[in-house]
Amino acid sequence: MKRILQIVIWASLAVVAATALATIALHRGEPISATWFVLAAVCSYLVAYRLYSAFIAAKLLVLDNTRATPSERRDDGRDFVPTNKWVLFGHHFAAIAGPGPLVGPTLAAQFGYLPGTLWLIAGAAFAGCVQDFVILFCSIRRDGKTLGEMARVEVSRRGGFIAQLAVLSIMVILLGVVALVIVNALKSSPWATFTLSATIPVALLLGVYLRYLRPGRVLEASLMGVVLVLFAVVAGQWVADSAWWSRVFTLSGLALTIAIIVYGFAASALPVWLLLAPRDYLSAFIKAGAIFSLAAGILFVRPHILMPPLTRFVDGNGPVFAGRIFPFCFITIACGAISGFHSLISSGTTPKMIQRESHARFIGYGAMLLESFVGVMAMVAACAMTPGVYFAINSPAQIVGAAPEAAAQTISNWGYPLSAATMAGLAHSVGEQTLWNRAGGAPSLAVGMAQIFSTTVGGERLLSIWYHFAIMFEALFILTVLDAGTRVGRFMIQELLGRVWKPIGRLNWYPAILLSSAMIVGAWGYFLYQGVVDPLGGINSLWPLFGISNQLLAAVALVVATTILLKMGRLKWISVTLLPMAWLVVITMTASYQKIFSANPRIGFLSFADALAAQIAAGQIPAAKIAETQRVIFNQRLDAVVTGVLAVMILVLLGEAIVQWHAILSRGKEPVLHETPYVATQWAEGD
Amino acid sequence: MPRVWGKAKRRVTRFWNGLREWCGDSAYENYRKSAMRRGQKSVLSPAEFYVEQLNKKYSQPNRCC
Repeated sequence: MKRILQIVIWASLAVVAATALATIALHRGEPISATWFVLAAVCSYLVAYRLYSAFIAAKLLVLDNTRATPSERRDDGRDFVPTNKWVLFGHHFAAIAGPGPLVGPTLAAQFGYLPGTLWLIAGAAFAGCVQDFVILFCSIRRDGKTLGEMARVEVSRRGGFIAQLAVLSIMVILLGVVALVIVNALKSSPWATFTLSATIPVALLLGVYLRYLRPGRVLEASLMGVVLVLFAVVAGQWVADSAWWSRVFTLSGLALTIAIIVYGFAASALPVWLLLAPRDYLSAFIKAGAIFSLAAGILFVRPHILMPPLTRFVDGNGPVFAGRIFPFCFITIACGAISGFHSLISSGTTPKMIQRESHARFIGYGAMLLESFVGVMAMVAACAMTPGVYFAINSPAQIVGAAPEAAAQTISNWGYPLSAATMAGLAHSVGEQTLWNRAGGAPSLAVGMAQIFSTTVGGERLLSIWYHFAIMFEALFILTVLDAGTRVGRFMIQELLGRVWKPIGRLNWYPAILLSSAMIVGAWGYFLYQGVVDPLGGINSLWPLFGISNQLLAAVALVVATTILLKMGRLKWISVTLLPMAWLVVITMTASYQKIFSANPRIGFLSFADALAAQIAAGQIPAAKIAETQRVIFNQRLDAVVTGVLAVMILVLLGEAIVQWHAILSRGKEPVLHETPYVATQWAEGD
Repeated sequence: MPRVWGKAKRRVTRFWNGLREWCGDSAYENYRKSAMRRGQKSVLSPAEFYVEQLNKKYSQPNRCC
């Protein structure tokens, strides 16, 4: 009887999911309620978790709870710490959820709500969650080895080197592009710039408190910090209202670029307890609070989605970024559907803390589902605003025009009615001087979030506070990614250079710390700079580059996972990892090819460089702008080379893996699996 | 009523302990317990343990995009 009831419940959930998905896919005309999005996402996730992840756990991975995990065998209270599965889920989710699932869907909303929403839900269920779950399992069976180490041992030495190089490349591009998102959000905004600047002294204060006054008392220190940061959000209004202070905190794109580069260098070179860690604590608490508030706000307000399911920009001429839905929707939304970066977390600290193999399903697959839900909420927040406003905020001046009236006319001509007065009124009500041309996703998401929050609490009156709270929340955890990533990048450079000259590899030698910090900051700082001076706004070039590198890393992870599963003799169900891997290879290769060779200058790096060179040759560029244009030409060619190198890397790794697979399948070589030997658990079932 | 109260209290306590564990407040206590279990003689001070944990945590990717 109980079994029949269960079948009825799960079948009903599947029907609700299918109905909600069909509704959002087929709805035309009147705006649709966001409730359908929440229903479609939540019911699909529940069904995917109950059925697909259970199938993977039972048939593909054959999780074994009688086997002791690394945290049991090597429990040392430091690295290997048995941790409650709910707590570890929280750790893992906090680590994987960054700005990506918020920014990517916001940018992809230019295609309309439909492509991005379907990719978020299906991509997570069949690709992203699978990658996180399988890599976590593989790492647990290898004492918590990293993705690079697994690639080296299970695929080939070259594979390991490529994985390491891919991680460093993605780190550099990622840091450059997220820094650009901050610059575009803070540009000419004294309120937002003050609020974010204020988090630095707050973090320093917490750092000293946690190091010397109450070592390790993170909860109380973070609560104090959150109160101070919230106060800074309110105080930002006073700064914006004061003529003198407003001038001090009104910074141009280039000034913000320099400030962020200096900050990144300091965070990498200073002791970790002083700035980086306390900022991370602040960010974690505010991130958790803001995400849950957004979910609650959407459920409470149930806003109507004003963006159409498909916009005219499915033709590839979008103003936010150029390119058709295939492949660009699938690389623009990386985190939220599938993100290669997650494989680094799944093969980092999580496998060293997991208590039982069966927990890998809940933590690996489940946490990614939650991240996908964050992506769907970001999509809802972006699509709940008037499409005209969305395009006004996210389109560069070179596309829509610099003058508000002309820009409003251009956007209205696209079929999304907008007046310059609407934008001026909106900017005024959120406490900004202007909201035009703020590409990057953060300001439009902040407007969407502020509208949802202010409908729940405070109304129009608090719109400006909510907007700046949302900007602070986004910028705060982007900065956390920036400083934590810079530090990890510094370690990678020290490790690589240490092979050539040993002293550089010493982590406590200050000249090495300063040199490697300067190198990593210089690398991502260069991408940030080129984004800021890019005539098309930077996001058009850099976000796809970031998407390609992130999906490339996901392909690397799935190649490693497929190789390990083949060695385990799981050929029958190998399509579980093989199909998402093949999909990723196809989209990254197609996107790379188009970004390098497309004849459309808004898509192809080389054709854009050639078009600019032709303009110089034809004397169409004023003499004063020639040097600047030549820098842009160089940057476009550099981006083409970077994209090409990334594509070649995945092809080489794939070639190595295919040779291995052929040898295993033709029985030409006995597969050697590098798992830690089986040790029976000493823990009782309920422990 | 006392049963409901007891159940609620247990849940709040469990949530509180989980929160302390999630944010790292109880990391030093767990480390001490683990060291005692293994009969380790010298243990780190709270400040030394805190700095050591941070240095390890931020030497590998631990915050995603």
